[in-house]
Amino acid sequence: MVVRYVAILHLQTVFLLGIETLAVLGHAPTSEAPRQGPHFTSCLSREQETFRCWWSTGSFQNLSQPGALRVFFLKENSISRNWTECPDYTRSVPNECFFNKTYTSIWTSYCVQLRSGAQNVTYDERCFSVENIVHPDPPIGLNWTLLNVSRSGLHFDIMARWEPPPSADVKTGWMTLVYEVHYRERNSSRWEVLDLEIGTQQSIFGLHTNKEYEVRVRCKMRTFRNFGDFSESIFVHVSQIPSKESTFPVTLVFIFGAIAVAILLILVIFSQQQRLMVILLPPVPAPKIKGIDPELLKKGKLDELSSILSSHPIYKPEMFHEDPWVEFIELDLDGMEAGEKMGCSDTQRLLGVGAQLGSSHGLGVKDDDSGRASCYEPELPEADPDTLAAICLAQHEKGATSLLPQSNLSATTAGGTPPDPDPAPIRDPIPCPTHRPESRPLVQTQLSTHSWINMDFYAQVSDVTPTGGVMLSPSQQSRVTEKIPVEKKEGQDAQVPEKENVGEQQKKAEGKKRFQLLIVTPEEGAYTSEVDAQKVSSGYSHEKSCEDSIPQTIQPPAKKISQEACQQLGGPTGDYQSPYLLPPPIPVPPVSDYTVVQDVDAQHSLLLNPTTTVTATPAPTPTPTLTKPSPAMAVGYLSPDLLGNLPL
Amino acid sequence: CVLHCWSLFVLLLMCLDLHTLVESAPICAHGHTGCHSPTLSDLFDRVIQHSARMHGLSSDLHSDFEQYFLPSRNQIGRINRKCHTAYILTPNGKENAQRLAREELTEVILKLLAAWRDPLSQFHRSMARHEDFTSISGNKALEMSDMVHQLKNGVEKVAEKMQLLGMISNSLMSLSSTEALAPHSASSEARSMSDYELLYCFRRDSNKVQNYLKILKCRIVAEHGC
Repeated sequence: MVVRYVAILHLQTVFLLGIETLAVLGHAPTSEAPRQGPHFTSCLSREQETFRCWWSTGSFQNLSQPGALRVFFLKENSISRNWTECPDYTRSVPNECFFNKTYTSIWTSYCVQLRSGAQNVTYDERCFSVENIVHPDPPIGLNWTLLNVSRSGLHFDIMARWEPPPSADVKTGWMTLVYEVHYRERNSSRWEVLDLEIGTQQSIFGLHTNKEYEVRVRCKMRTFRNFGDFSESIFVHVSQIPSKESTFPVTLVFIFGAIAVAILLILVIFSQQQRLMVILLPPVPAPKIKGIDPELLKKGKLDELSSILSSHPIYKPEMFHEDPWVEFIELDLDGMEAGEKMGCSDTQRLLGVGAQLGSSHGLGVKDDDSGRASCYEPELPEADPDTLAAICLAQHEKGATSLLPQSNLSATTAGGTPPDPDPAPIRDPIPCPTHRPESRPLVQTQLSTHSWINMDFYAQVSDVTPTGGVMLSPSQQSRVTEKIPVEKKEGQDAQVPEKENVGEQQKKAEGKKRFQLLIVTPEEGAYTSEVDAQKVSSGYSHEKSCEDSIPQTIQPPAKKISQEACQQLGGPTGDYQSPYLLPPPIPVPPVSDYTVVQDVDAQHSLLLNPTTTVTATPAPTPTPTLTKPSPAMAVGYLSPDLLGNLPL
Repeated sequence: CVLHCWSLFVLLLMCLDLHTLVESAPICAHGHTGCHSPTLSDLFDRVIQHSARMHGLSSDLHSDFEQYFLPSRNQIGRINRKCHTAYILTPNGKENAQRLAREELTEVILKLLAAWRDPLSQFHRSMARHEDFTSISGNKALEMSDMVHQLKNGVEKVAEKMQLLGMISNSLMSLSSTEALAPHSASSEARSMSDYELLYCFRRDSNKVQNYLKILKCRIVAEHGC
């Protein structure tokens, strides 16, 4: 900063000194011309070889005659520090002093003074260097050529060409010129300025057809600041070629194409909405209980339930379990006898027992495995499932030797597993532990032989867990029929190991016993079919229930065991599946298997077969009945009101 | 590969544009085989381009200086103190330059370039101390001082080429002699100059060098119109 100020100070000092040396008269020249006094108007050079100075007299009119004002100049490095008068006062132009080549020195500083005629007054003084006052002449020969026209015919480009001013010696390189092109629309007031161009041509882009443009050019010395005058303007005009036929359809095509594509997209999106939603927002799998989603049960999506259950790994050995169906069928009679012996209650008994027992939420059968099927859903609000459960338990009790025939449920529970407060969806109230495939045939056969009411009570056990739980499958009625032969086979296989220990037989029996279980209600759906309810309410005799459950292939002692097994709580062997025992985690709507729901009332209660007679005996019509589709079975629960309307 | 080739090409172009120096291309002396010897015209073109760039830099710096340090620029031109190169007799007009002998003209150019090497480096150093000047100006100053040195080398090579081709006599003084002729006062004068004066003087002298080179080329290469 200090240096800078010093430099400025030094400069000013130098300047003053220089002026002093130059000023012969010793008058300090004023930087500003006196107001309206004679002063220099401009000094400029056109080709960097000569220069001129002009002055005006100002308001001093008495100095307008020639000779009244005189110009003196001083060159920087002149040998004699004398002011020399203007070498040439131009005659044709007033108040002009012309310095020709001999008097012009480039790269030297000049000072010119405007003095009065008597040289006693210096009106004005200017100092400059010639190269700094060069204003080149305007370029000449400006014209334009059409470069191209846009495809739409609305725009065009031109190439403007010109020649350097003849006075500027660009050939030898004495002057290096750069050019600046301006253009504007005819009626516009603003000029468009293009970049400096060293060459002598400039292209102008983006001009509109049917519009007139004005183009002009000027130049200046490169690295210097002073522009010369503008050249003469030229006018550019290109009329539009009427080629609309080529552009119009193209535009239309584009517009319509865009609209069509948009419509297509919308259609696709709307038609594939669901799929797109799945793709874009894949549904987060809700936490599933092992088994069936109870929501499905509530809403009656039987097909989905069936598919789920069928795909469930637990149910894979279904095929295997279908064999017992066959066996079961064959053992029908024996089962019936056994059932009587065991005292397993028929449906009627069950119903009666159930009525006595009442609801029992606490029917906690040993539910140590998930394969158990319970006849009721503890969470069921309705009493029917509970009664059914009670019936189940009662059934077991009846058959249990160790248990009182009419023992209450609590005893049963005591003998068996402790009450399972756990709201496992399906419990096995009957402590029949075994989940033998043979039980399957029992059940299935019962289903087939007995009325389809029995089917309602029982759900197909699709698997038996190792701990003895039974897992029921919401097999359709049709499937039940299919399984019959398979079950038979299974039952036969079960027959093979005759030498099995008693336990196994017990298991078998128990498994069969399970068939007597009234339903396997789904874990949370807690379905009971109307039929089941009917049984409960009407006291339909299920004399054969337990008997039937006993596979005929089992030896008589086994039958007894089976009786016991029927009563026992909790089955150890858990490999087989009792088709009527649902695994706790697997909610199975037994109703869906075996009952045809004809209608659903407003309270989401099932209306099953209202037309069929209530007292219809379980004649061997179950088969056709089984085959009946049960579409809207799992719509809701049975309400007590509907019990009376059961088509049994 | 296309991308690489294109980038290489662009890079090459940039390099060529920036370094239009004589030394950037191998100049084969005495007609050595194996290297492409540029013609005198090419050499002149390079040198002229270089000098034009140098002059542009000096002009920019000068206007920056004027703008920032002397805002109250009055209309009266300045008569500065003499530049330190005033001892060098230079033709002050086109005809004068054209009338001057080629050797002398070349010599003048070389003298001018030699005289400015030290002052410019001094200027660059003093510029660095100025806090007000931007780094861009500082870079310009540095580039300018480098350019002077490079231009001098280039002109020397041109002179060698001209001597080789017999266009000028061998009476051209050597480089060292040109520098030796500089009076000692010149260097001291240069040191005492202010930055602004220095810039003003260099702007003028670089313009001289550019024009002299153009005139020289026109005379030597004898293009049409010269």
